Parts: sequence; C-alpha cells; structure tokens
Amino acid sequence: MPDFNVRADSVNVEQIMEQIRARIREKRGVDYTEQQIRELAAVKLERFLDPSGVRSDLLEQFRKVQPPYSPPELPNYAFEEATLYESHRGPLRFVRRLLNPILKLFFNPNPLIQALHIQSQLNTTNAQRETERRGLDQLHFEVLHNLVIETTRMSIEIKNLKMRVESLTGRLEFNERRARALESVVAYRPSTGDRVEPVQRPAVPQAEAGAMQASPQGAATPPNAGAPEGPGQRSRRRRRRRGRRGGGSAVGLMGSGAPAQAGGAVETASPSAGGESDSGPHAEFDAPDAREPDAPSEPSDEQ
Amino acid sequence: MKVAVVSQRYGQAINGGAELHARYIAEHLARHATVEVLTTCAADYVTWRNELPEGLEQVNGLPVRRFRVARERDPLAFAQLSARVFDARHSIADELAWLAAEGPTSPALVKYIRRHAHDFDFLIFFSYRYYHAYHGIRAAGRRSILVPTAERDSTIGLSIFRPIFSGVRALMYNSPEERAMIHAVAANEDVPGAVVGVGSDVPSNPQPGRFRQKHGLQGPFAVYVGRIDENKGCKELFAFFETYLRETTGRLSLVLIGNSLLPIPKHPRIRHLGFLEDADKFDAIAASELLIMPSYFESLSMVALEAWALGRPVLANGRCDVLKGQSIRSNAGLYYENEEEFVAALRALEQNRWLTGSLGRNGRQFFREHYEWSVIEGKYTDMLERLGREPDDSQTIAPLPGWLARRRRDCLAGSEIVAGLPSGPGRLVAAHRIEPRETNPEEREAAGVELPAASPPASGHQPRGRFRGRRGYHRPRSGQPGRRSSR
Repeated sequence: MPDFNVRADSVNVEQIMEQIRARIREKRGVDYTEQQIRELAAVKLERFLDPSGVRSDLLEQFRKVQPPYSPPELPNYAFEEATLYESHRGPLRFVRRLLNPILKLFFNPNPLIQALHIQSQLNTTNAQRETERRGLDQLHFEVLHNLVIETTRMSIEIKNLKMRVESLTGRLEFNERRARALESVVAYRPSTGDRVEPVQRPAVPQAEAGAMQASPQGAATPPNAGAPEGPGQRSRRRRRRRGRRGGGSAVGLMGSGAPAQAGGAVETASPSAGGESDSGPHAEFDAPDAREPDAPSEPSDEQ
Repeated sequence: MKVAVVSQRYGQAINGGAELHARYIAEHLARHATVEVLTTCAADYVTWRNELPEGLEQVNGLPVRRFRVARERDPLAFAQLSARVFDARHSIADELAWLAAEGPTSPALVKYIRRHAHDFDFLIFFSYRYYHAYHGIRAAGRRSILVPTAERDSTIGLSIFRPIFSGVRALMYNSPEERAMIHAVAANEDVPGAVVGVGSDVPSNPQPGRFRQKHGLQGPFAVYVGRIDENKGCKELFAFFETYLRETTGRLSLVLIGNSLLPIPKHPRIRHLGFLEDADKFDAIAASELLIMPSYFESLSMVALEAWALGRPVLANGRCDVLKGQSIRSNAGLYYENEEEFVAALRALEQNRWLTGSLGRNGRQFFREHYEWSVIEGKYTDMLERLGREPDDSQTIAPLPGWLARRRRDCLAGSEIVAGLPSGPGRLVAAHRIEPRETNPEEREAAGVELPAASPPASGHQPRGRFRGRRGYHRPRSGQPGRRSSR
C-alpha cells in the first residue's frame, strides 16, 4: 500500500480501513461484491480464442446418433377398379362380379375405389420422398454445421477486432498525449532550408568552441539571427520560452533515463528531470502508467 | 466473603481459553476473598476422560475440589444431537440430551453444589454451554454468577440457556458484543452485568532477540498464536498469506505457535514452531511485527490482548464481531473480511512504521486501562460487593417445562436463531475511544459502552427474530411465550 496515507497524529482504525477499501475498489475498477467476484470467477473461459482453430465434431456426432435409414417394408396395394372384387378363387370372383349390380343398389363403391387408388399413389410417392429426404438431411446438416462454424469464427474474430480497436484507441490516445507533452517541451530546430548561413566570425580557441558545441542552446548567437521570421516561428519561440521557464525536460517527463542527444533540439530547461512540469501535480505518478510497453522511450520522431 | 469458581476443567497444565480465564480469575480473586475451585477430573475437553485424581488438592495455593465425570463423550451421538438441535426444529428434551452428550456429565459435582451452595456467598460459573454450568446454576440458584464466554455460534440459540441468562444473579461479560448478543437472545437487560474480560501476566521485559536467536529467525514476521485448526480460521489464513507471498514484494514471514491439527503449507516463509512456553510466546510476540487473529468465533481473544500489552498491533478477522469491535475500540488493530483486505492491511502494517508504532502504543494503552489486573479485580470485587449489598428480590430461575411440554418439537433450530441476532461490533462512546495524547485517562476509566442493540435503527443493529423481548423458553406456536416458562 504505497499510496496509503495516514496524516493525522491520532490513528482511527475505521478511517484506515476505509482508505484501504477505497484503494482496493480503485484497483478493481468496479466495486464488485464478494459474491459477484465469485460468480465471475466461476464463469468458464471461452474455449475458442483463435477463430481459425474452430473445429466441430457436430457432424460426426450427428452421424453417430442417426442410424442408416432403410425404408420400412410395408405393403402397398395397387388399387384399381377391380381390386375390390379380386380373389384367387375363380368361382368366387365370378359370383362377386355377378352380384356387383346388387351391391351397387346398396352404396356406390366408386368414390371409395377412387380414394383408395389415390391413397395408394400417395403412399408410393411418400416412400420415395422419405428416401430422398433422408439423403437431403445429411446435406442440410452439413450446411448447418458449416454455418455454425463460420458464425463462431466470425464472432470470435469480431471480438478480437474489437479488442484490437480498443487497444489502438488506447495507443492513439497515448500518442496524442505524448505528442502534446513533447510539443510543450521540445524547442524549435530550423530545417536546413530555413537556416541562414552564420556570419563569418573570427576564429575562437578550440576549448571555447568545444564548450559551445556541448551546449548549443546556450549559444550567444541564435542560428537564425537576422533572418526574416518564417511561418509559425513566433509561436515556436513562445513555446521555447515557456519551456525554459518551467517545463521539465521531455526525458524527465517521460520518465526515461536516456540523456538528451548532444546537439539536438531538446532543451533541458530545468536541471532536475523530476521537477515541476506543465503536466500537473500528478505528472510524476501518471507518466509511467501512461506508457505502453511497446512505446518508444525516446521522443525521436519529434527531433 | 467466600466464593466458589466452577469450571469444566482446571489445572496449571490446562490452557484452554475459558479454563485459563477461570484460573486467572480464581487466583486473583483469592487476594480479596476466600476462593475454592470446583471442577471435574477431566483434562481433555473432547472426551472428558477422568485423568486427574478425585477429591481436594491445592493448585497454586488454592483448594481445588475435583469430581468424577460419569461418562465420556460419545462423539457420534453428540454429532447427531448437534445436527438435530442446531439445524432442525426440535424439543427441549433434545436440547437436554445434547447437553448431556456434550458433557462434562458430572452429577457428583452438581450434587455437591446443591448441598453446599449455601456455604458460599457466590458461585462463579464459567462457560454457559457445558453441563456443569447449566445444572450447577440450577442447583446453586440465585447465588450464581455466570461468566458466559459466549461465542456467536449455534449454541447460543438453544432455548434451555435463556432462563439461565435471565436467572443468574449477575453476568460478567467478556466484550460488549457478547453482552449485546446475550441481551438479544435472553432479553435479560435487567440482570446486573459488567464487561470485564480477563487480564494477563505479561512480562515487562520480553527478550525478542533471544527468541530470534533460539529459533533462527531473521527478517520481519507476523505471528499467530493458538491452536492451528480450521475452526480457528487457520486454513483461510494460510490461503491469504500465500496470496500475500505470491502477489506482493513484502518481506514478512508467518510464524505459527501452537499445536497443529492442520497440514502447514510448505513454504520457506511459513514457520511452525509448535507449542511454546509462556515466556517464549511473549518473546515471540515482542519480536514480531504484528499478531494475526484469523478466528471467526471468539468471545475474547486473550492473545490479542497480550499482543497489545506488548505494544504490537493486531490484524484480526473482521467477520468476528468481537475481534473487530476490540480493534475499533482500542484503535490498535486492523481487520480484514476478504483476501484483498488481508493483503492490503498486511502491506499497510508492514510498510508504515509510524502506523504500526501508533497502533502498538494504542494497544498498550487500551490494555493498561481495561485489562490490567487491578482493573479486572476491581470490577469483580465491585460486582460482588454490590450484589452483597443489594437484596435479592427478583425471581428465581425459571423451572423446566413439564414432561409433555419438554417433548414438544417447537424449538427453532439454533442456527436459525443465531442468524437473526444483531451483529456488528459494539462501540465505546465516541468521547472515550482510545486516541493517544487526546483523551483523559480518567474519563476512559469510566467509559460507557454503546451497544449495537441500543443504537438508532439506522445502525442496522436492531435485534431481529421472534424471540426478541421474551424470557424463558421460546415457544413460537404458543402465542404466549412467557406462560410455559413460569411452569
């Protein structure tokens, strides 16, 4: 608990415990209850994290569950006009035919015969269709199976992409913050096109020249002295002055131990890198947290 | 004044919390009154086997009269009866059977008390939950003073104890939490009572260096003193401490002192030293950074008081009302209710020397003002004198209901009753809290105790449950709860 604070002279255990709990809540981000934490811990992790690795044995399971289809051997009558009166005995068939007109006095067998005929045809058609459907089911299931796999892959990919977007957003925000921080402390270095050749000066002793090289920002002669002001130059100068007044060095602000490049444009306005900066009172606490692991430790692109 | 101290076990080698408490009180009361100790021949609190000789003997200059235990405890029968009375609706006969199964069943002790109670001015019974206290108090009648040593477990919910809490002449509580709990159970606010606790003979010059050298300990460590048992919260302590070791860069080790009933985790920074003599124990506490008390059930933690007496802070289990209350009242310890709080509190104590020092100072002051022997003895003698002066005009202990009523299964499960009891730490009145260099010791001497039950409803400590406000046996179906208790 490095951030734990006891300032009063007398101790209040309840206050201390409240501070400890507040710190724990801060760390957690959300104030979950113990029960909620346990529930969250009990949730199983998603099995598939790599979309390309999604495999399914759904089809095999289906094939195992479904036995091979063999159509039932049910009799199907070819129901024709004379089917009702048929018999393998000749005299009986004759008597039935003979008495047929009398039978027709009692009811009309024709619709019955017709219906049974249609039914017979329907039975045949259904049996054929059932056999065909069984074959199609396999195909449907395969399609369904492929769809499930693809949908799962896509949902995982979407999740991955979402996470990547969140990560990129974070990096972007970090870079913006970093750029703003660097802008506030980095001095302007004129490009070669803007630079005006310095006036020919008399030769100086070697030691003096070396000292001047070591501290270019301390040079008495500004590099563009006498040249007309370029676009944005005034604001850059203002920034530079602000940097001299109070801004810590970029290196110090970013918490890096790397020294400023000799002869570079980075100004170390304050001798102490951890001194007060424009980034606010929490600068020295926030800066290390804000850095991402893969972010460069030196602000090279600004120089 | 002649006083009898009645305890389930007694002896110099017996180190159970309540038994040690009884011995300390007997020995210190002997400076102010004639004291005789009545106890059993048992030395083991699980079996109650008769191990010590029957009859009169002297222990530290006090006469101790021992009586035989009629039968040892049958663990199976006791477990079955416990399940019945704690978890299901049951009868008073079941509870009496449970009490007999728990023991120490010594009818000879009860018979002696019945015959000789009038020889004593008062009989001080320890531990309400045992056979000797229940039947002994019934035998001694209004000469009984009870030191309940009650914990927040299902036993307190049993019906048979309510007339005892209401019928004794006075109660000597260990903590405000215990008093609030017993008031909620038995509605015995009119029975004289005082929060007393117990003192400890802490050496004035412990030798932490000697202890470190003797046991080869280097670096800072937290100490646990007591039986290493799951019931004492040690399993949870091990898990939490392993998390501390895993997740933080802390340097603390854990030193365990006491007999172990649990496997100790194999880690170079967890050391088990076994049972140690008192001198070594005090040296260990003095050498430690803090004492950890992981127990869920305590009526008074003597070892926490000893740590405070030695100026060491305590990290206590906040789910134990008594420990949490003690920590808050003393301002001398932190408490935890889950793993994160344990780790964070441990880190806070480890990293803030100022905090540790302040808590330790508060602890020392708390012990000096409330638990030094002069204070404890004063509270006992004041109570005895007060009871001697005041006429005993109140009712006797409510008799047991009739044979048929005793067998009616209309008592709620003990655990159900306990679930409805008020919880939370009792608080000292704000003006008398221990705050170094700010409060007047004389004011603290007279410190009142604000009970949770007496707090406004917003505090959430209002007693719940249908038994509230009743005396005698709980009869949820009767509609006239007091009626049967007067039979």
